[in-house]
Amino acid sequence: MAKVLIVDDTAFMRKLLRNILFSGGFDIVGEAENGKQAVELYKQLKPDVMTMDIVMPEMNGIEALKEIRKLDPNAKVVMCTAVGQEQMVKAAIKLGAKGYIVKPFQAPKVIEELKRITGMS
Amino acid sequence: MSERVLLKTPAEIFDNGWKSTEVVITESDITFANTKIQSREIQDLEKLEYAGKEAVRIKKDRNYYLNFGSRQQQIFRYLAFNLKSDRFAVYFLSPATRGGVVVKDSKWEKGYLSITDEAIWFLSPSKQLRISLNSLGSVGKDVRTIGGKQRVVLVVTHVEKGEVITSFVLCPETTLEMLQNYLQQLIDMHKPKEKLSDAEEQILTMVYTGVDSVSIESILGVSTDELNRYFDRFVDLGLAKVVKIRKEVELTPKGAALVSEIMKKAAR
Repeated sequence: MAKVLIVDDTAFMRKLLRNILFSGGFDIVGEAENGKQAVELYKQLKPDVMTMDIVMPEMNGIEALKEIRKLDPNAKVVMCTAVGQEQMVKAAIKLGAKGYIVKPFQAPKVIEELKRITGMS
Repeated sequence: MSERVLLKTPAEIFDNGWKSTEVVITESDITFANTKIQSREIQDLEKLEYAGKEAVRIKKDRNYYLNFGSRQQQIFRYLAFNLKSDRFAVYFLSPATRGGVVVKDSKWEKGYLSITDEAIWFLSPSKQLRISLNSLGSVGKDVRTIGGKQRVVLVVTHVEKGEVITSFVLCPETTLEMLQNYLQQLIDMHKPKEKLSDAEEQILTMVYTGVDSVSIESILGVSTDELNRYFDRFVDLGLAKVVKIRKEVELTPKGAALVSEIMKKAAR
């Protein structure tokens, strides 16, 4: 079962993703509400994949991705973004993000994308 | 002088059941079952399932349902390109995302964005995509890299079979501006007038995401009755429709006695 770390500054979005991914057979090992926490939790939890919001306080998702890829060049990060943030998504892909999902998302699509990235599909 | 006939083919029309007819298409009109409709007067057109068959709905004052058999796609495409509409030459990419995930095999196509009274269309030789005005979600501009250049595109979101789709439109910026205003007006006309509360927005998002009622109750800590009240409001606002009514039961003494028996049996 793939271990997931959820990163989003909105409690509601974290809850929603937790619910979706748990029902999709993922093991939710942790949640972070900004990029800084995400980096710390990545070191501790070593998840198989993480969903990363882009716009967050303290440290945004792009900066966090950079830090995490420095720690682990094989880290699997899926950016989670709202419509209209294409430039940031592009930057994220260049930095090694494995995929991205656009809010609002639908549960089956999110599960499918994460399964693809973790090789569960 | 009569118009040159482009196509004459047997078809079926729904009129208290499917009945055989002949369809004649000329450069300017379509005739079937004693009805002649000028192509430019067709108000709406749609492919759908109707009375057990794949059909084409043609609207001119009223709806006509026809099945063109093996010619279905050919005739639909021809009529779509000849609809009464405001039409703009554009490049479009549809779908760009589906349900929040990027559609990787989608490609830019050269064609038209066509706007009729009831729908907008993306038209190209290979695609005739109809988006009902009720299904339009939002329209906005964004920058994309197309052919190595940064270009401003129109991002249109719409709903198809319960999934949110985004499509991109590329055209000269002055046309883009005008199209954005035009589509925004259409969207505003179909938008609910009332503002939703935070809780309502969250519940609506969860329903869209596919979270079931029991999970919504547990995530938000609301009771079934409260959630039902939210759902009733969504229905009143035209944001949702009821697809299933949940039943809650309480055991009768007979049912409770049976459970005692079941427990005893399990303990044996």
